[in-house]
Amino acid sequence: MEDIVGGWWDRLVRRAAYRGYPAAVVELESIAGQAPLFFRAMGGDPALVLRSTVGTEHGARRRLIERLAGTGTKVELAWRDSQAFYLPDKLDLYPDPALNRQLYFWLMALAATPVPPGDWLNRNRAATAACLAAMPGLALVYQRLLTALLPMRPDPAKLPEAEAALERAIQAALRQPDIEQILPAIAQPPLPVPLWLHPAPPLVDQAGAAAQHEAQNPQGKRPDQRSRRRRYRAQRVAQDERKNGMLLVFRAESLFTWDEYVKVNRHTEEDDDNNGEAAAEDMNRLSIAQDAHTKSSKLKFDLDLPAAAYDDSPLGPGLKLPEWNWKQQRLVEDHCIIKPMLPRDAHPAALPDRLLPLARRLRRQFQALAPERVRRSGEASGPDIDIDRVIRFMSERMSGVAIAEPALYQAWPPGERSLACLTLADLSLSTESWVGESGRVIDVIRDSLLLFAEALSASGDAFGLYGFSSIRRQEVRLQVLKDFAERYDDNTRGRIIAIRPGYYTRMGAAIRQSSRILLQQPAARRLLLIISDGKPNDLDHYEGRYGIEDTRQAILEARRDGLLPFCVTVDREAGDYLPHLFGHRGYVVVQQAQTLPQVLTRLYAGFTR
Amino acid sequence: MNAPAPAAVAAPFYQAQGDECRLFEAAWQQQLPVLIKGPTGCGKTRFVAHMAARLGLPLITVSCHDDLSAADLVGRHLIGDGQTVWCDGPLTRALRQGGICYLDEVVEARKDTTVVLHPLTDDRRMLPIERTGELLEAPPSFMLVVSYNPGYQHVLKTLKPSTRQRFVAMSFDFPAPDVELAVLMQETGIAESQARQLVTLAGQLRRLTGYDLDESVSTRLLVYAAKLMMSGMSPQQACRTALAEPLSDEADTIAALLAVIDTQFPAR
Repeated sequence: MEDIVGGWWDRLVRRAAYRGYPAAVVELESIAGQAPLFFRAMGGDPALVLRSTVGTEHGARRRLIERLAGTGTKVELAWRDSQAFYLPDKLDLYPDPALNRQLYFWLMALAATPVPPGDWLNRNRAATAACLAAMPGLALVYQRLLTALLPMRPDPAKLPEAEAALERAIQAALRQPDIEQILPAIAQPPLPVPLWLHPAPPLVDQAGAAAQHEAQNPQGKRPDQRSRRRRYRAQRVAQDERKNGMLLVFRAESLFTWDEYVKVNRHTEEDDDNNGEAAAEDMNRLSIAQDAHTKSSKLKFDLDLPAAAYDDSPLGPGLKLPEWNWKQQRLVEDHCIIKPMLPRDAHPAALPDRLLPLARRLRRQFQALAPERVRRSGEASGPDIDIDRVIRFMSERMSGVAIAEPALYQAWPPGERSLACLTLADLSLSTESWVGESGRVIDVIRDSLLLFAEALSASGDAFGLYGFSSIRRQEVRLQVLKDFAERYDDNTRGRIIAIRPGYYTRMGAAIRQSSRILLQQPAARRLLLIISDGKPNDLDHYEGRYGIEDTRQAILEARRDGLLPFCVTVDREAGDYLPHLFGHRGYVVVQQAQTLPQVLTRLYAGFTR
Repeated sequence: MNAPAPAAVAAPFYQAQGDECRLFEAAWQQQLPVLIKGPTGCGKTRFVAHMAARLGLPLITVSCHDDLSAADLVGRHLIGDGQTVWCDGPLTRALRQGGICYLDEVVEARKDTTVVLHPLTDDRRMLPIERTGELLEAPPSFMLVVSYNPGYQHVLKTLKPSTRQRFVAMSFDFPAPDVELAVLMQETGIAESQARQLVTLAGQLRRLTGYDLDESVSTRLLVYAAKLMMSGMSPQQACRTALAEPLSDEADTIAALLAVIDTQFPAR
């Protein structure tokens, strides 16, 4: 009975104490599509991404009913740092949803405005003044927001003297942002100003370190989309150097807060459940420290065969291929077994949102590549008159030699360019290495494949996408991402998204198999594009000279068959060995891996010219 | 298509951004062909029209398209009453008149077309017409001007280096805010305060080039918006039809563009 009544009371008092208007709520999701564009148009740094904030404790005086209900301690305010701009998850400050929506746009404009250094009051005031001066429309919005906000601010007359001075300064700054205010020194923080940015946002380097930390653990289980956008207030602490953490000898109640950093002697947990995430949600401040342990879920099964359940699904028993042995200078028949496979866990997927703008541009560019129409004269019908033939016909008729039905028209039937392109991507474990800030090589390859496929499907040329890796000569794995016969659709996209690095690089066998596939294509020109990140190598003797010679032999064979092999590599030392493999015009070294998609598409355009 | 521009009586208004007029005049005096690059709607065509009027030369404009053939430029035989009649193309006509031949968006033309220009653009300055066996020599006042938009680059559609190298090149961009302000006021008679708002808005939208928009708002679109506003349309609606809708087809992008417009011209 007490429980039930207590629950009622709790709900009642919480609802009574709540300051917002839940009926008028506007969610960040509803403007997330427009927010980045708007932020950039306001002059915000285009590199910043949109994130949502969590509540931070403001420490201001609360109303009696809030203290009764135990609510109102946290507030969600917007801010910006070197990584992102942060907006509240939802806004229900005003009873009118239109105002709440406008508040989002106001906050973005404010966050995008560069501010002179100063205390938080004057920073916000100066930014507000700059916005109002530059944008008369926004000024009107601000007036509306302000008029609705002022009645919600506490009355300075009813506050203690020091707090009243501060509140007066805030209200003056809100009303007349172009007049500088002096920030009164006072310990008690004022009631947060929802029209302004966070007075003390988490420091830049902390957020940066947190992002870096997140980046270094890309294998960890990803939280869902919404919570990934959420930003926790983090502090970076040094790892407690003591070998063993302290024993919790005192009573747990004497810990001051539950988010204080204490090293305890226990191992990193391996649970898959979301307890950690839930705890992060409740904490004011996350302490982040680096320790030497890595969760085993981040280890890859790289050195041995994985359990069958984790492996890619093989397609049939495999094909035997020869391999070049340079010591013996002969082709060893049936030396390798190549196994076509489909990536495991591939689900149909659309193109990731972040690639959409680039993909759209590429599609447009490559539509221009669609086979050009060629004017053909002497057609029996067509949109244009073939004047030369008319002239000839007339002169012939005058001279008495008439043809019954001469073909006097010109037409433009669609021409055939007849080009097939097979893209073979290196998916060996070395692609897991990092390239600068853009992520791992495999991520760049994945994006490149997606964008390249978008471009190719727009150009209308036949194309296939394959990936390869190997574990000794018994198992050269050829990942079929897109067959020539398949359409490029969500299924194939899903397969490309599902590629994972693993194993080694037996390039020769992969090239031979790709050549065979490509040779079956009925096209006049056949392009074999190889995306690589390093030298050929495998566990057995397939390394150094042996691997290079075998690969070279495979490329020579492809050339002999009339294919056009070409290599794009992100290995900066590729200049040492690639001229030997592909000839000095047969490869390109991409200095910055993140530009790989652009390089690929530009190259392709060059080939088709 | 390919119609000669009517000979202008007074020079069309053009607000110089630098010393491009002097450059153009010098190139004309030295009989050099000129290449003008710049984004859509930044005033390339207007500049050429202005200069032609200033120099008192007839201007013949050809808007190039991807089916433009050499015959379309040089001329062709047409069928008359039982006989054929030779008809000069715009290039030949400009040559005979000793005027300016302006090839707009020259990269759109087929590659073989631009080769026709080669003998005209070096010191020979002549145009062989194969079909009639004529060899036309360019009079001193003849000038060839081509333009294209480098922002709108097709993978395939760029000028051949051998063609590019034959021109002196000038780069155009959207005018500086103050110049653009003057252009707007001169072209449409709009009040300065509203013109300034339009120019500020253009500055905001141009930040999006390359991120959210392939190409941003041009001076021409601003003039359109100003004209609509002058005709009594509400600024909000004028900007929507002249600035937001022409730039994108995506609902989200347009909504965001409208939000940007709202910061200058609020909905009443």
